[in-house]
Amino acid sequence: MSSSSPPRIAGAILTVDDVTVRFETPEGPVIAADDVSFTVKDGEFLSIIGPSGCGKSTVFNVIGGLLTHHEGTVRVAGETINGPHQSIGMVFQEESTFPWRTVTANVAFPLELTGMPKQKRIERARYFIKMVGLDGFENRYPGELSGGMRQRVSLARTLASEPKILLMDEPFAALDEQTRLLLGDKVLQIQQQLRQTTLLITHNITEAVQMSDRILVMTYRPGKVKRIVDIDLPRPRTSEIVGSEAFGRYVAQIWNDLREEASRGLRDEEAHVLHHEAASS
Amino acid sequence: MAETGRLRQAASAGPLLSPVTLVRVAIILGALSIWELLAHSGWLYRDVVPSLTRIGAALVDLLSHGDYYFNLGVTVGEIAAALTIGGMAGLAVGILLGANRFLSKAFEAYLYYLGPTPKIIFFPIMIMWFGVGPESKIALGTLSCFFPIALSVAAGMRQIDKVLIRVGRSFRANTMQMVWKIYLPAMRHPIINGVRLGLGMALIGTLLAETKLSNKGIGFLIIQAYSTFDMPQMYAQLIVLFVLAIGANALVGRLGGLANIKSK
Ligand SMILES: Nc1ncnc2c1ncn2[C@@H]1O[C@H](COP(=O)(O)OP(=O)(O)OP(=O)(O)O)[C@@H](O)[C@H]1O
Ligand SMILES: [Mg+2]
Repeated sequence: MSSSSPPRIAGAILTVDDVTVRFETPEGPVIAADDVSFTVKDGEFLSIIGPSGCGKSTVFNVIGGLLTHHEGTVRVAGETINGPHQSIGMVFQEESTFPWRTVTANVAFPLELTGMPKQKRIERARYFIKMVGLDGFENRYPGELSGGMRQRVSLARTLASEPKILLMDEPFAALDEQTRLLLGDKVLQIQQQLRQTTLLITHNITEAVQMSDRILVMTYRPGKVKRIVDIDLPRPRTSEIVGSEAFGRYVAQIWNDLREEASRGLRDEEAHVLHHEAASS
Repeated sequence: MAETGRLRQAASAGPLLSPVTLVRVAIILGALSIWELLAHSGWLYRDVVPSLTRIGAALVDLLSHGDYYFNLGVTVGEIAAALTIGGMAGLAVGILLGANRFLSKAFEAYLYYLGPTPKIIFFPIMIMWFGVGPESKIALGTLSCFFPIALSVAAGMRQIDKVLIRVGRSFRANTMQMVWKIYLPAMRHPIINGVRLGLGMALIGTLLAETKLSNKGIGFLIIQAYSTFDMPQMYAQLIVLFVLAIGANALVGRLGGLANIKSK
């Protein structure tokens, strides 16, 4: 059911159609994404989950227009993209604040590019800084903040560009569990407040179930769409939902799907290591 | 920032009593005494080591002549022009080489070979092209400071965190915005380092050229003092030059310090 093209859904703001990405490496071609197709509806929260190395970041970069040597098409509100699109905002997996800019100047960055007058963009930046809960830190430099706070600066910066679609690639991957849960709450709250269409990439099942309307599970190499799961949990949600029974069922179901893929990935990596050890001895 | 604060505190706690300060003062006093002893010993040929009082008198004499300031202005102007031209060219070339793998493979090897070559060997060519006036000094100074700046900018370009570039592209920054708002600030440390190295090179190149063939500038005055065997005068000139070089270096260092504090 998952490998056939999805039907054109009315109100789909993002359409990913048969996207395939091949990388040439010294060890031969790697297929990072294979015939990936899905849609995201206006106002929807979709998560993509999959084992490490399956091609999640690759899909993220294709949708963000930073990777253009793919097959297939990505459309935003019907318009085929070929490069970074105005309607799409990206939050990266890596630490990505500008260390030479204060929190305010970081968040105002996208507004500066559009030539918004200084007073106005500082005002806008303040609004989003407040939204991610960093008021009081406006004049600090990223080096003076914790990792979780820096990630919130990145989020505020992307929100400030007011994207129709928010793309996030494992924004909390490098954080400790508590910070991660609290930030998850923050994202949920913002998403509900702005009715922000969001595509979240993660390999954390709890996080995905807690936040999503739908979850797309990817297979380990080649990265295909294995299944798309509807999460029928009431909104608004908070991290408290994690204790409920329905929540547990979703987690178990997705874990089942993922376990298979993750263990394939692990075997693959072990074989790789053994191969290298044999080659070097 | 916290560290510099602590250092400053330590230094101001007992500047006169600190052992380091004492040793430093002792070294200077020792060197001056030996100098003075040599000056009065009569072992060396007349005036090779003039006494401190005579150097001091020459220094006062030097600094009270308007003529000297004119020559000083010429040299400082030459160095500033060399650093500006060489710096801009080095920055542009460094950015190109750092951004483009093909160009860097094709050209960077030449920079590495030419970089350490003493640029004074090109001075005859510069004289033919630009004459004996300040232009040939500027040309040599420019040539001298271009290489360290270009190489350090090229290396800095490659060290830029790639994700910052992706951030800029995802917000659809144009080329000028990428350069001014991402590349240059991200490279502030290598750029300042390059300028510091470049300043030293421009200083050496310009002064060396002045001592070889010129009709004004500090290098010219020094070599003139030497050729008329006016040793106190020559030493006085060297002292002023030394102080100026230290001041210029401190100024560039200060800029680097500012950049550090700003980005923390
Ligand atoms: N620029 C590249 N050149 C060659 N191979 C690449 C490149 N980028 C990614 N790959 C390969 O493509 C595959 C998918 O990578 P990708 O980064 O998309 O995985 P991911 O699902 O995001 O993994 P993770 O969860 O660890 O972030 C990997 O096998 C990776 O080695
Ligand atoms: Mg990834």
